Amino acid sequence: MALSREAYKAFEAVVGKRNISEDTAICETYRCAAAQSSAHYGPYNHRTPMPAAVLMPGSTEEVQEINRLCNKYKIHYKASTTFWSSHGFIGYDGCIQLDMRRMKKIIIDPKNKVAIIEPYAIAATVQAEAMKYGLTCNIPGVGCSSSVLANTAGWGGAGPSSVFTGNTVENLLCVEWVLPNGEVAVTGTAGSNDGWFYGEGPGPSVRCILRGAGGTCGEMGVCTRMSIKLSPWPGPKYLPTSGISGIYYAEGLDNFRYYTLCFPSWDDWSGCVMKMNEHNLMYTGHRQFSFFGRDVKAAFLRIITNPDLQLCDLPELMADPEVIKTTESMKIEFHTVIAGLSKRDLEWKEEAIDTILKEFHGWKDEWSLRPEIQKYMLTYFIRLGHKNLNYVHCGAYEGHFGLHRNNQILSARLVEPAAAIKREFEESGPWNAKVGGDSAMGSLGGLGGGGGTMGWEFFASYDAHDKKSVEKTCEYFKGPVQDFMTKNCGVTEMGSGQENSRRPDGYCWTQEDHNRKFAGMPGTNMFAYQWQVREKFNPNHLGSSYYQTCDPEYIKEFKAQQAKK
Amino acid sequence: MALKDFVAMQERCSNCSFCKWIPFDKIKSNRFSENCPAGVWANWNTYFARGRFQMGLALVNGEFDYNSERADIARSCLDCGACDVSCKVCRYNLEPLAHNRELKHDAVEHGNVLAVQKKMLDSYAKEHTLLAGKKKEDRAKWAEKIAWAKDAEVFFFPGCKYSYDRKLAAKAKDIAEILLSAGVKLGYLGKDDACCGGRAYQMGFFDEFAKGADANIKAFKKHGVKTIVTPCSDCYHALKRLYAERGLDVEVLHVVEYLDRLIQDGTIKFTRTVNRTVTYHDPCHLGRQGEPYEAWNGTEKKILNQIHTWEPRRPRYNGRLGIYEEPRNIIKAIPGVRLVEMERIKEYAWCCGAGGGMQAVNPELSKWTASERITEANATGADTLVTACPWCESNFAGAVDENGRTINVMDIIDLVKEAL
Repeated sequence: MALSREAYKAFEAVVGKRNISEDTAICETYRCAAAQSSAHYGPYNHRTPMPAAVLMPGSTEEVQEINRLCNKYKIHYKASTTFWSSHGFIGYDGCIQLDMRRMKKIIIDPKNKVAIIEPYAIAATVQAEAMKYGLTCNIPGVGCSSSVLANTAGWGGAGPSSVFTGNTVENLLCVEWVLPNGEVAVTGTAGSNDGWFYGEGPGPSVRCILRGAGGTCGEMGVCTRMSIKLSPWPGPKYLPTSGISGIYYAEGLDNFRYYTLCFPSWDDWSGCVMKMNEHNLMYTGHRQFSFFGRDVKAAFLRIITNPDLQLCDLPELMADPEVIKTTESMKIEFHTVIAGLSKRDLEWKEEAIDTILKEFHGWKDEWSLRPEIQKYMLTYFIRLGHKNLNYVHCGAYEGHFGLHRNNQILSARLVEPAAAIKREFEESGPWNAKVGGDSAMGSLGGLGGGGGTMGWEFFASYDAHDKKSVEKTCEYFKGPVQDFMTKNCGVTEMGSGQENSRRPDGYCWTQEDHNRKFAGMPGTNMFAYQWQVREKFNPNHLGSSYYQTCDPEYIKEFKAQQAKK
Repeated sequence: MALKDFVAMQERCSNCSFCKWIPFDKIKSNRFSENCPAGVWANWNTYFARGRFQMGLALVNGEFDYNSERADIARSCLDCGACDVSCKVCRYNLEPLAHNRELKHDAVEHGNVLAVQKKMLDSYAKEHTLLAGKKKEDRAKWAEKIAWAKDAEVFFFPGCKYSYDRKLAAKAKDIAEILLSAGVKLGYLGKDDACCGGRAYQMGFFDEFAKGADANIKAFKKHGVKTIVTPCSDCYHALKRLYAERGLDVEVLHVVEYLDRLIQDGTIKFTRTVNRTVTYHDPCHLGRQGEPYEAWNGTEKKILNQIHTWEPRRPRYNGRLGIYEEPRNIIKAIPGVRLVEMERIKEYAWCCGAGGGMQAVNPELSKWTASERITEANATGADTLVTACPWCESNFAGAVDENGRTINVMDIIDLVKEAL
């Protein structure tokens, strides 16, 4: 659905000829192929709608003007940055897509330990700039290629480093926020021209409106600048690495250690995690390489750390007695980086880990203690720059069996039953990579200091080029996975958040759809509240429907009908 | 191969955008964190490798056809291969660079040829050089006064830039004489010397390249060539990788490899101190694309249900076996020279802007790419930017950084000559 010539010319006048396009080839590359990336609403053989045009604003003023024009012409839009996952793409025909990549400035304020960032500043670059001042940022589980601003404004952002730095939501300070009406709200201390160091003022704090329950995900205007809290980086001014072509080794990080900690049971595993959190021992904490799959992860670790090995070496590696030993050793495990803020601090942490491991019958995986593996893992976990290994099996995966937002004890106890379901699916036909059932990966600390598991998901790896593989994976999610979740309270499905936002055909739900969906759900008032916020701030509903709302009038009618029944 | 043969890859690209940055572990600053000149210049997703996969798939599916803008996008890839290295940090079964090239080829096959490209190809056909306006009979003039070895074991392949450009021809003469003085039995093909055709390939003219390459291979056989040494990184890549694929079975060396050998074994000794702080620019086709060719003929094989592998094992070109240390060894061996590195080096170096025939195809993009590199070079505090490719040198010459500053640009041959 093309824009009117009048609207197109008006947008062009704002961003300039070079930064607007309605060419089909350009617009095509702003569609999400739902099978090809972690869409998190299910793998489907379709793409999200074709934008009517793509715009690349270069300043806050341009974003303001775009909002005003969208209101004038009643055009929906979606602002996005790195375009990895389906979240950032438009949800309706006739929408315009904003690509924010021209706005990528990063300013570090070392005195206040904050970074002031624009939308296209990714975690890797924010961290690199922060390291120059002995600071670092949280890098969410999705990896360092993600936009820090988008992650902080719209999502949760738990990852390996959250246990030390807090997740991205916790690090949100001040925001320069272009409201859907085109006005700019500047929150926190920045809102009273006092600098960007504190989110709650003096100056307005409208955090609950900006973020909503699960993040507004781009529906409520566009954040064009943000300050985030930084954390100490007890290392050199940049990440020093040797090695070549992806196999990079951290050099000279003598005050850091990496361990794969392994356990005989999930109860021991969760006991150790909780105790390590209690004592603030971890710089990063994650169950990481299980995403390869329990049966293959040890073999895969050999491949990704050895340039001479490839995927075709898997069968031979899996039969290697040394690899089998590692596979057995790290069945139930997690991965941690320890940072010593001083020599004594490191010694104490090492001793504390040994003591806790003893209490919970754990051990350090021997292979991971090799010096070159230590160096590789330090690079891996500190920068988190290899997250595309998530797709290494066949190019696509989807997460399921969330196990997140729970305490470690509950989550851990559900891994084996969930793994059994997954294994059954893997063995049911050639639809998914057959990797051993358990492929649960996630953060050990949803909050700074630990507590809860966050972002946990089982990986189901399928071939986006094989339509049957996609369909069967989808059927598995709708069948056995849903059944399992219904029977086991506390298990949330990783894709569910996006399922509430985008339909199986790639379009976003309409308000009518949302009314029907949310009116009967527990906590309806939250959706009604968000509806009222949205109506005030965004009466023309310019964004997608990721911000979940329910019309209070509809709820009233729904309740009345229910009462009659 | 045709574009349709890439559909599996197009559909297996996970849209992660790793192709937009240098390998993340290597990022030291926001300013020098990106890797794809075309993408960073144009900004649209479409110009990055992931966008090219998406555009390619839509073209194969007949969702749209070429127009001038789409043809421009297809040919805007500088063939630098930076996306390929970044993609392969994690992926083992995608070939973004091969796809980018095939997309160009597809555009050409659909009749999208610029006038400037047509001139280059006419010249290639008639005068055996892609430098339009140059004559075949002038090609060997630079070499007339050189006392080439009669029983040559090693043949010098200067490439078009060194053969026709007066300033550069002097360098070709210098390096030939340095090698001859070092006792190398160096020969030259004389009237049989011709363009390698690498630029034609990089612009998507696969058939024209093949014709020229086969003629050259024939000439090499006629002269009994066992080893080729070239000072041009583009020629190096063409001969070492592309000709090898067409059956050329000779040792191909870049001058820096040969010089490094001669310095290491003591044949060449530096006698002068050179008071320079230099930074070295890795040419894309010597560095990450300078890996040795491995023949492969196989098919995809899935293991463990859905894991994609190849049978037999397929070579994995990811830049790790490129030529990086040899030029640095030479620079470090020169008394008085201090080497300072830019942030993007070796397998993740930023392109000079001349790749893919961009000087002719899109001069604005080409100049901008060079300017970015000059900015990066000046950020090191170096007074001299050294490179090992005439295309890089010519593209840097006269380029200014974002602050309007230039830097002294030198071929590594000049640096060596200064120290002898």
